Amino acid sequence: MTAAALLAFRLRRERVVLPVWLVGATGLLAASGVAIVREFGDEAQRSALIALASGNPAFLFLRGLPDGAGVGAVVFFQTFSFLAVLTALMNTFLVVRHTRADEERGQDELLLAAPVRRAAPLVTALAVALLADVLLAGLATTAGLVLGLDPAGSVLTGLALGAVGLCFAGGAAVCAQVMPTPRGANGLAAATVGVAYLVRGAGDALGTARDLTHVDPSWVSLLSPIGWAQASRPFSDANALPLLVPLLAGVVAGAVAILVRSRRDLGASLFAQRAGRPGWRHAGPALLAIRGQIGTTIGWATGTAILGFLAGLITPLVVEAVGANDELAGLIARLAPGVSAGTGDVFTMALLGIAGTLATAAGVQAVTRLRTDEAEGRAELLLATPMSSTAWYLRQLAVAVSSTAVVAVVAGLAAGTGFVASGSAPDRIGVTLEMVLVQLPAGIVFIALAALAVAALPRLSIGLAWVLLVAGLVLGQLGDLLGLPDAVQSVSPFRHVPAVPIEPVTAGPLVVPAVVAIAIAGFGALILRRRDIPA
Amino acid sequence: MLSTEHAPVIRVEGLTKRFGRSTALDGFHLEVEPGEIHGFLGPNGAGKSTTIRILLGLVRPTAGVVEVLGRDPWHDPSATNRHVAYVPGDVALWPGLTGGEAIDLLLRLRGGGDRAERDRLIAAFELDPRTRSRAYSKGNRQKVALIAALAARAPLYILDEPTSGLDPLMESVFRDEIRRVRDAGSTVLLSSHLLGEVEQLCDRVTIIRAGRHVETARLEDLVRGAESPTLESIFLRHYETR
Repeated sequence: MTAAALLAFRLRRERVVLPVWLVGATGLLAASGVAIVREFGDEAQRSALIALASGNPAFLFLRGLPDGAGVGAVVFFQTFSFLAVLTALMNTFLVVRHTRADEERGQDELLLAAPVRRAAPLVTALAVALLADVLLAGLATTAGLVLGLDPAGSVLTGLALGAVGLCFAGGAAVCAQVMPTPRGANGLAAATVGVAYLVRGAGDALGTARDLTHVDPSWVSLLSPIGWAQASRPFSDANALPLLVPLLAGVVAGAVAILVRSRRDLGASLFAQRAGRPGWRHAGPALLAIRGQIGTTIGWATGTAILGFLAGLITPLVVEAVGANDELAGLIARLAPGVSAGTGDVFTMALLGIAGTLATAAGVQAVTRLRTDEAEGRAELLLATPMSSTAWYLRQLAVAVSSTAVVAVVAGLAAGTGFVASGSAPDRIGVTLEMVLVQLPAGIVFIALAALAVAALPRLSIGLAWVLLVAGLVLGQLGDLLGLPDAVQSVSPFRHVPAVPIEPVTAGPLVVPAVVAIAIAGFGALILRRRDIPA
Repeated sequence: MLSTEHAPVIRVEGLTKRFGRSTALDGFHLEVEPGEIHGFLGPNGAGKSTTIRILLGLVRPTAGVVEVLGRDPWHDPSATNRHVAYVPGDVALWPGLTGGEAIDLLLRLRGGGDRAERDRLIAAFELDPRTRSRAYSKGNRQKVALIAALAARAPLYILDEPTSGLDPLMESVFRDEIRRVRDAGSTVLLSSHLLGEVEQLCDRVTIIRAGRHVETARLEDLVRGAESPTLESIFLRHYETR
């Protein structure tokens, strides 16, 4: 098998997943561009917005560096760091699923028995990532041109995203050599992405204002590839040279990974797995389901704990900056659906809304385990015992809901701790905890939908579960920002979450989604009982 | 709990299973008597694994009668599987669990099993129970499923090509263990491609081809009735002829 055939095989496998990522990222850029053109069409409005953001470390931390009041500069400020994270994750998952995942599944063994070089699977996986990044750069550029942004700036924005993507493709390739499992490799690489975002955030927050609409980052930002990409400043002092840093980092990391792969045994890794226990005294299906999710739950909880803590820490800064300024208050209010109040609470709510979504993602991931266990043959082994398929399904659902609840509670406690650390009274912890807990019923609807997908459309279920969650997030959390009609937005359960502490909590918005979720999950159990396993 | 002593342990009549437009089983029948080791033979893709999955209540028959220990497995798989120990042809385990942990899990699901028996079998099959399932070879994964099944003391064992990854020494351990459970009164349905194994173990065999029943016979009758007395030539003739 030649490398070309291997590459063609990889592209064939990517014909659905990769386009979804590319279209999703480009769509997000285009939608927020349209929203900014519509909401802040006037130069003076944009100047005021950017001037306010420039003076506020919280915004600098979350979004990036203000770089002028032109439409292009505002779009870049609003979206770039977020798109950079998306691009980095796209590359991470892409590289790992074609390297360590194939290796664990035994597919590489079959491939490498053919006359191909040992590193050929890795090299072709990196080639697919390169292609994906070139495509993304092209699409982002096109989106910028269609929005009417400065052409050179649009091209540079695309290149900046591509450079970040390649950097993390190389990083993921190294993670795939270091870690023994695809989960471990994805976890390590995704954590690197998170750290890169946070380091850039800290550096940008510590930046110094050059004038009213420009902020220069501190040196800390240059410890992050996203910081270097941002330094290309596409819509002011445009300069492509800083992009060489993430690009070179990616090339070096890729080369190191290729070198390691060429020299190591199939299946070997730096962190090899040790021998385990020879028996399991308290073995049981419930403990099995819990054991399967503990690692990932800790991972999600760590991420949301950091997010929540930062939310608590920086909200007082936002409150201070907003003061009596109605315009900024209005902008912040648009982050939270259906609320007209303009306080620091809204800002915390927006961040804890993201934490709630991540907590839901932990649950959805746990539910998709049902499908991987079925597809890989473990369900057959379990269900050939007296254990019923309904028990198997409900048990995993219970673990999924618990995983979501744990991640949400950790985020709420971390946010409260952040508040206390920045000088609030300890009773804040109760409020932030309530803010995440009221989101749980809405999140459980997505867990139930994922379970229904596994029962009814098993082959499509994993992709479908994630698409549903992203759709719910876009409609419910970002609907106002994107200017979607109310009727469309209200489809998402996230849209109906009580805006604690601004709105009073009533039973309806909590009970209705919970009942809907139970109905959906119950329907899934009925379907599962009536179908073949494996389907 | 069990049906009367002489009723068949497995009774399959007119069993048909369609997956979309393709027909996996076409009016197949099978009868397994109490206390026998029943060979289940047929070319790849003939429908052996589909039949076994139907016996376990995992797959729903399109038409026909299926009884395992007098009960319909699709209607209540938990009730029939309580008396069944199963070894799949392609054993998939939980990558993070060790072999010993996977054995304990499967034993617990089947109602506990016998601790001493488990340890004896681990020693007999020379399995390292501390190894993570991820690192096991095909043969070692099969040993895990075999040990978990054999330590369960089930009235019925359903084994789908259980020795395809075992070395000859382990195969002989396997044969001894199967004879032991048969002598203890259990019934065994053994799907296999290894004619030597079938010849040494099975009392009767059923041959399936393209989802249809070809023949059920005592092994010695099969050999006696044929022009060419080797088992291989008999099976080849059954597998090939239309």
